[in-house]
Amino acid sequence: MAASERDFYRVLGVPRNASQEEIQQVYRRLARTYHPDVNHDPGAEERFKDVSEAYDVLSDPETRRRYDTFGPDFRQVPEDVDPETWRRARARAGAGRAGAGGAGQAGRRGGPGSSAGFGDVNIEDLLGGMFGGGRAGRGWGPIPGADQTAEIEVTVEEAYHGTRRTISLAGPGGTRTLDVTIPPGVTDGQRIRLAGQGGRGSDGAPPGDLYLIAVIAPDPVYRLEGRDLHVELRLAPWEAALGTSVAVSTPGGEAKVKVPAGTSSGRRLRLRGRGLPNPRGKPGDLYAETRIMVPARPTKAEHEAFERLAAVSDFDPRRPR
Amino acid sequence: MTYALIRAARLDLDEFAAAAGVHPDLIRRFVALGILDASRDPGGRLWFTAGQLSAVARIQRLRAGFALNYAAIGLVTDLLDQIAVLQAALRRAGRPER
Repeated sequence: MAASERDFYRVLGVPRNASQEEIQQVYRRLARTYHPDVNHDPGAEERFKDVSEAYDVLSDPETRRRYDTFGPDFRQVPEDVDPETWRRARARAGAGRAGAGGAGQAGRRGGPGSSAGFGDVNIEDLLGGMFGGGRAGRGWGPIPGADQTAEIEVTVEEAYHGTRRTISLAGPGGTRTLDVTIPPGVTDGQRIRLAGQGGRGSDGAPPGDLYLIAVIAPDPVYRLEGRDLHVELRLAPWEAALGTSVAVSTPGGEAKVKVPAGTSSGRRLRLRGRGLPNPRGKPGDLYAETRIMVPARPTKAEHEAFERLAAVSDFDPRRPR
Repeated sequence: MTYALIRAARLDLDEFAAAAGVHPDLIRRFVALGILDASRDPGGRLWFTAGQLSAVARIQRLRAGFALNYAAIGLVTDLLDQIAVLQAALRRAGRPER
């Protein structure tokens, strides 16, 4: 819990002299932004919890006054203590450990025996604050956690071969890291479910799931449609006219494409099964799309050869077919 | 990969309410308010699928988080579902896919 921001005014982003109305206004807006059912970002839940806890304290003028007087640990301070006495007692006890004087009413919920150390808040308090919000919904009992989603960007190569990622998520007690295996053949927009890694449930209810949505990064060479890969295959005019065999690189290694004689630009030559693998069936195909290139500055010999070709050929590419 | 051909497990009202950790009357009320889908057999008994437990949890979270009444929760959950569909469509449209 140490990671949690303890300054409730900073959590809500309001000045210390903010009116109750202002506090309510800010809280409502933040709650709508970060509620786990509205915002599926894994970090949103922690923020929502902090905001709810802050509002829980600041929305009630009496608890707010006590918070202003005694600080974040005001729940450890007995109800009837005099602020001046408290300050003196605290100064005497030195920094840190000023054990709650009158044990009788220590804590909001924990009795005298409650183990919550000074400056600590126990987990029920936080989760209660999260969904309880102080006023609404006490007595709901356990509520399972919400599902969360996060995007994870992979390259085409990674989508082809599969990869491992370490992702960091905001969670109770700071960030936690997860090692995630992205299976070979993941497609753009595919959801990878991590059971039980979503939002926390309250009062021991099960957590939600975390869904990672694979986003395939744009690639300078490959264009992806589902599991089919498209690459550009550049050809010299004579290669296209006479036919040839060209090596194209695919994520799975080089592959030979046979270009039949008489190929024009825009022809798609298919290499069956050379697209992304499919764990549940047929892999995608690779399409090499031909594009005929000419030398921008032909040599004298090339120029003459093209002229001879122009003289002997009656080919008209614009003739209606 | 092969999947066994089994019918999705149906839960009756009491089983479903127990799994959701709430009173059956509350579930019956959710259904009557149209914020939770259920199928009715010829005898009038309500049946649920296990997948709907997350819908109950969401109703509870929205109620607890925003102090919404149930009519408003129906509207909010419908809108959230529509947004999810639109976001998925937007994601597909943003990048060429299939």
